[in-house]
Amino acid sequence: MAREDDVEVLVRRIFKDISSAFRRNPDIDEIGVIACPEARYNRSPVVAVGPKLGLESWCLKLLAPHLHSRLVQHRRGKIWLDPDALVELTHTLLLLNPDCTTAWNVRKELIQVGLLQPGKDLWLGRLALSRFPKSPDTWIHRRWLLQRLVAAKEIAEAPSGDFFEAFQTLLHGELVVCTAAADRYPSNYNAWSHRCWVIQHLAGCCPKVLQAELESTQAWVENHVSDHSGFHYRQFLLGALAADTVGMSQACVHMHPSTNIPAVEMCAGGSLAAQHIHNEFDLCTDLNLAYPGHESLWSHRRFLFHLWHKVAGAMSGEIYNGPLRSLSPLAVSLQTLETHDEGHERKRLKRCPSWQRHDLQAEQEFAAGFLAKSMNHVQSRFASTYLKWIDAVSGSWTPP
Amino acid sequence: MGAPLNDVHIKTDAPSTLFLDKHADYIASYSAKKDDYEYCMTEYLRMSGVYWGITAMDLTGSLTRMDRESILEFMRHCQHDCGGIGASQGHDPHLLYTLSAVQILTLFDNLNTIDLEKVVEYIRSLQQKDGSFAGDKWGEVDTRFSFCAVATLALLGRLDAIRMEEAVTFVLSCMNFDGGFGCRPGSESHAGQVYCCVGFLTIVGRLHLVNADLLGWWLCERQLPSGGLNGRPEKLPDVCYSWWVLASLRMLGRLCWIDSKRLRTFILACQDEETGGFADRPGDVVGAVDCIRSKTTIQYKNCFPYLYIYSYLSKPCLQVDLFHTLFGLAGLSLLGETQLKPVNPVLCLPEETIQRLGLHLQLLN
Repeated sequence: MAREDDVEVLVRRIFKDISSAFRRNPDIDEIGVIACPEARYNRSPVVAVGPKLGLESWCLKLLAPHLHSRLVQHRRGKIWLDPDALVELTHTLLLLNPDCTTAWNVRKELIQVGLLQPGKDLWLGRLALSRFPKSPDTWIHRRWLLQRLVAAKEIAEAPSGDFFEAFQTLLHGELVVCTAAADRYPSNYNAWSHRCWVIQHLAGCCPKVLQAELESTQAWVENHVSDHSGFHYRQFLLGALAADTVGMSQACVHMHPSTNIPAVEMCAGGSLAAQHIHNEFDLCTDLNLAYPGHESLWSHRRFLFHLWHKVAGAMSGEIYNGPLRSLSPLAVSLQTLETHDEGHERKRLKRCPSWQRHDLQAEQEFAAGFLAKSMNHVQSRFASTYLKWIDAVSGSWTPP
Repeated sequence: MGAPLNDVHIKTDAPSTLFLDKHADYIASYSAKKDDYEYCMTEYLRMSGVYWGITAMDLTGSLTRMDRESILEFMRHCQHDCGGIGASQGHDPHLLYTLSAVQILTLFDNLNTIDLEKVVEYIRSLQQKDGSFAGDKWGEVDTRFSFCAVATLALLGRLDAIRMEEAVTFVLSCMNFDGGFGCRPGSESHAGQVYCCVGFLTIVGRLHLVNADLLGWWLCERQLPSGGLNGRPEKLPDVCYSWWVLASLRMLGRLCWIDSKRLRTFILACQDEETGGFADRPGDVVGAVDCIRSKTTIQYKNCFPYLYIYSYLSKPCLQVDLFHTLFGLAGLSLLGETQLKPVNPVLCLPEETIQRLGLHLQLLN
């Protein structure tokens, strides 16, 4: 019995230490565990150095079950905790176990009744992600917060200048959080799909934002050539940019009504999309030459082949019918953006230089070139599978 | 110079036979460790943990080793007034745990332990205007939850309770150019989400809406030289994908598109010879990505559609858990392992249980 009491006292002390560390330094931006399986010295296991907070590993096994059991007891009506105590308890618990759904829900309830600021939880989530960059419940809670913030009266009814500023800050902050989590864990599905959600729901797939994102993530994918999620994000951006041209709306189904994007920006030309796709082919080729043997790059190229035909087909007046059955041999050039004369545009399309073509034949030649030159058997395997894939989706392949 | 493939190396002395009894021992002992730190930290997904444990146990033919009465008693306390079921007492209701609970009760043939009409009402209340499903009242939408909704209703014989056309439209809006599916429209294809979406379409009889050749191609490209399967390009193989990928291929009638023999070798190598149970992958990691595994103390593991499991890595590489134990065994069962009961690829319950219910699920040939 005495031992249990000792543990109880110790745990309460550690909990207090953590809370006061946050009070002393509200700018803590990263948490971590200090490998220290046993309490060797008579000192607090809570170590704060500048904006970094470390916990010695021995204390986790005591602290987390204690906090967890208090939360459950509260939820079952066995003990009563006031809102401040609940905020403090869930704050620490979520930094130890951010997928405890119920703990986030407790905070949602407090936000609903105005006892907790949503902005504080964006910060808490960011901290939790510094240690658990995949944590699904942390991302889920962020989406709930962001929806609430955007819908909130303060933002929606603010004078337009203030609105845009507040909105830009929110959007930018969220993209920073996504990049940090993507840096911490490779192919971080939750971070990248959250980023897609942000572009859809906060930015309303605004072409200007889409283009800025294409630019700002290029260096990232160049440095992470095996991160398929990073490339997929660019596929998402390219698809959304092309949406106007080919009437594919699935990436942008949820436009936020409060983002007043000028109409002229909303109808970005398909030729611009074609140019983006062409640039992406170039990027993909360069990376493939520099870093052979990466499945992500070949998979990315499949998408580009698919999107190219969708856009080229739509621009040449052909209706694109689903999974690459009707392919257009026409290539597209950037200059067509300036004209609205369809006949003229088609002539330009036919005249466009061969280096901008990515039709079946051009891509077959590209892959064959790789096969002829490559000394790397993995790279050769990817190239020959690519060849088969583009043939297959173009309709000339039947399964075994 | 090429990049090293992200894969594992299977040692020649790795396990190559099925330790059937050891696995039953492992599952039986797991529920006895209630004071364990790990047990406490995984309480937020307990209901799914129970489902993994008893289904695995039943596949090994030893269900009687589980304490049926205490499990049923536990479940009586987890249903909320709204009808939804929480992971454990004091935890909020969610579709994930509602499905797990209904799977457990189906297996025990004891559905009346909870208020079923309320369960149906709960699921109905979570369907959104666009046909999608929120996981709980807070509104997060994901194709996993579409699967949870129809899987639960199918087990209860109440698929009529929701707006089916809209539900199908939403799932199809998450289909990608590669034939795969993601969590929301525009999201990356992921083998776990593919399983949920293909399972969804099978349950509601719309599997013909999938491009089976294109998706089958993507799925069989998940197989790595070690024989193991990953969930997305350039990820490490993981035993749970033996289930998500294999079950999807089975539903699509294309199980023969992968190399079963090598996959079997991989799954068997994930067993812990001493303790029983399966780990996510065999000991030796080849690629560089996972060197962080030995440095971090705690990490998340993927466990579709059941959120993510928290686990402590006391040993740097081979760490078994219930989740991988179920999906390792279920994968072997799909590959035709005769020591195990046949498993249903859609609902991940023993085939005999699905037949007892008289549930007819049309797979592709």
